[in-house]
Amino acid sequence: MTSTPDDVLVVDHLVRRFGDFTAVDDVSFRIAPGETYGLLGPNGAGKTTAISVIAGLLKADGGSVTIAGETMRPDAVSVKRHIGLVPQDLALYPDLSARENLVFFAKLYGLRGKELASRVDEVLETIGLADRAKDLSKEYSGGMKRRLNIGVGLLHRPTLLILDEPTVGVDPQSRNSILEAVEALSGEGMAVLYTTHYMEEAERLCDRIGIIDTGQLRAEGTRDELIRLTGGTDTIRLGGRVDTTGQEEAARSMRTLHGVERVDADRHSLSLTVHDAPTLVAEVVRMAAEAGMKLTDVEISRPDLESVFLHVTGKALRD
Amino acid sequence: MSTLLTLVAQGLRQGLRDKTVILFGFVVPLVLMFVFNLVFGDTDEREFEPLTVAVGAQAGDQMVGVVTDVLGDLDSETLDVTVVEVDPDESRAMVADGDAGLAIVFPDNFGGAAQMGTPTTVDVRRGEDAGVEADVVLSVVDGILQQFGDAATTARAGLAEGLDAEQLAQVAQASVEGAGYAIEEGQADDQQLSAGGALVAGQAGLFLLFTVSFGVTALLVERENGTLARLRSLPLPAWQITTAKALVSFLTGMLSTGVLLTAGGFLFGASFGSLIPVALLVASVAAAATSVMFLIARVARTSEQAGVATSIVSIVLGVGGGAFFPISAAGALAGVLDLNPVAALLRGLGITSAGGGVADIGVPVAIMLGFAVVMLLVSRLVPDRGAMA
Ligand SMILES: Nc1ncnc2c1ncn2[C@@H]1O[C@H](COP(=O)(O)OP(=O)(O)OP(=O)(O)O)[C@@H](O)[C@H]1O
Ligand SMILES: [Mg+2]
Repeated sequence: MTSTPDDVLVVDHLVRRFGDFTAVDDVSFRIAPGETYGLLGPNGAGKTTAISVIAGLLKADGGSVTIAGETMRPDAVSVKRHIGLVPQDLALYPDLSARENLVFFAKLYGLRGKELASRVDEVLETIGLADRAKDLSKEYSGGMKRRLNIGVGLLHRPTLLILDEPTVGVDPQSRNSILEAVEALSGEGMAVLYTTHYMEEAERLCDRIGIIDTGQLRAEGTRDELIRLTGGTDTIRLGGRVDTTGQEEAARSMRTLHGVERVDADRHSLSLTVHDAPTLVAEVVRMAAEAGMKLTDVEISRPDLESVFLHVTGKALRD
Repeated sequence: MSTLLTLVAQGLRQGLRDKTVILFGFVVPLVLMFVFNLVFGDTDEREFEPLTVAVGAQAGDQMVGVVTDVLGDLDSETLDVTVVEVDPDESRAMVADGDAGLAIVFPDNFGGAAQMGTPTTVDVRRGEDAGVEADVVLSVVDGILQQFGDAATTARAGLAEGLDAEQLAQVAQASVEGAGYAIEEGQADDQQLSAGGALVAGQAGLFLLFTVSFGVTALLVERENGTLARLRSLPLPAWQITTAKALVSFLTGMLSTGVLLTAGGFLFGASFGSLIPVALLVASVAAAATSVMFLIARVARTSEQAGVATSIVSIVLGVGGGAFFPISAAGALAGVLDLNPVAALLRGLGITSAGGGVADIGVPVAIMLGFAVVMLLVSRLVPDRGAMA
């Protein structure tokens, strides 16, 4: 783990227990300025608990959290200026409109007058609710509520934006607009801590990803670094009709190719374990044809974060 | 500090938008005042019936004479009492015939027994139609007899110094008068709220607890909304969050009590006295009520539980404080009832309505504020299961 003195967030050997149960177990990671860091883990992994300690809602039982050089604790005040928290569960006043919700929280962040008004307008624009700003938030759709929930965390342009599963339970359209908003904010240089159990979101948004399970950080790195952990092999599967001798012949010639580790055959298919499937697939298909195979499908699979999760925890990310 | 104001302003706005606050803080109590007034109306104009008391005793008993004199003094504008002295049998006959509402029969040589402090029995008969007036007279007689017990000690001391029987009777009489029935009664009359005033003040006190519960249960609602977590992630000290709720409770409580006393007083022609002492009483009772809510917010896990707890506490304090009808009790229970902030409010308003100023309401104000302090201390001691966990 590389570290620089001006890291936005430093989580150091963090521990949080509930009674005898350890929900966050010796977790350490850092986020550099402008970096988007993902905590990827299944339900109950400890993501929300970790975030609650990081945001100063819960006390740490061990270790420390430092944000922009200041120690975070539940009774700390000034360090909380650096963070914008978007809780997993909606945190809005249902009887206030979007604008009223934003104005209230903006005041608590110390914004006043013109600055407050223009910042609220900007945020309404960012979350795409400008035209519904006057409606009570309880009348919004689930996706709109989620967007407003995010908006509140952006008001004071935090150094570190903390988003806890912001797309849970939203329609694909809202989800996409949330992801775009996060990409835009990160583009503006905001550091982001993003938790999710969707690997596609982690892959799309995050510069670095920490894999968390049962309270422990099991692996950490960029997407490619994580994938290398799995051994980095791809799979090419060739399906179709073929007689046994043809299949054996094809397998034999394929094994001679550079980059092919294994070839397994069954009645209807050949399965190749290879390094760098895209450069090999054309040659493999030609060999199969030469051996008389009538191919019905060709499938390339490369490891994804799902495979990484399986590799480091021994279980599937989604059950 | 400006964040505290923002929190309070938001809380008040929330309260004014919340229909249940308007309903329980203002509308329901006013409606109930109306209903109660229709049902129990014109208690104000109720007059005591005239009462004839037949005192039966051996002629010439000076101690009996003392009792007769005191009862004779009861006769006033409020209470029409006629005392006749007859012999024991005739007094019983008068009650039986309906000529007297009450017969008090003293045994022979009652005076001697009283002087020596010897136990003796006074026989009382009440007529079938005798009402609350008879109870008033009986309670006075009871008081005199107790005084005799004390006087006997004084008298025996006198005997050793060689006083004669007549002088002894004077000692006894002096000691009875020292008890001061007349003064006590006068005070009670002056500082009692009129029936309409008591109704208005009682309902205001009862619903105050509902109203103030709003600010504090709002804490639990915030937790359920998730906004409490968000507030705690903001750069403001945690105490401001709870303090803001307390202030919202306190201010809504003062507002609703103020409105109810003004509107109710206007509707029922009751006056509670001058503004500053009344405002002080209202502020004190609002503080006391707010403190109860802190305890509830700490013990209740959900806003629903808090609602139920509020209703129970409100009714207990409201009824105990005389919000529906005057409650009287004796001994330790009376002491407990006296510490009830709703009772203290009624007592305080009684004093101010009789023209009392800030200096005269020290006791009720101290009771209410003391109650608030005790509740806050207790709420710090109980384990937190609710909003502040
Ligand atoms: N207040 C609490 N008391 C006791 N246990 C808790 C508490 N909060 C969380 N836990 C436990 O800690 C573990 C981690 O919970 P946490 O909410 O952090 O998981 P998560 O990764 O955020 O899951 P999800 O994806 O479902 O949001 C779970 O087993 C949970 O039951
Ligand atoms: Mg969670």
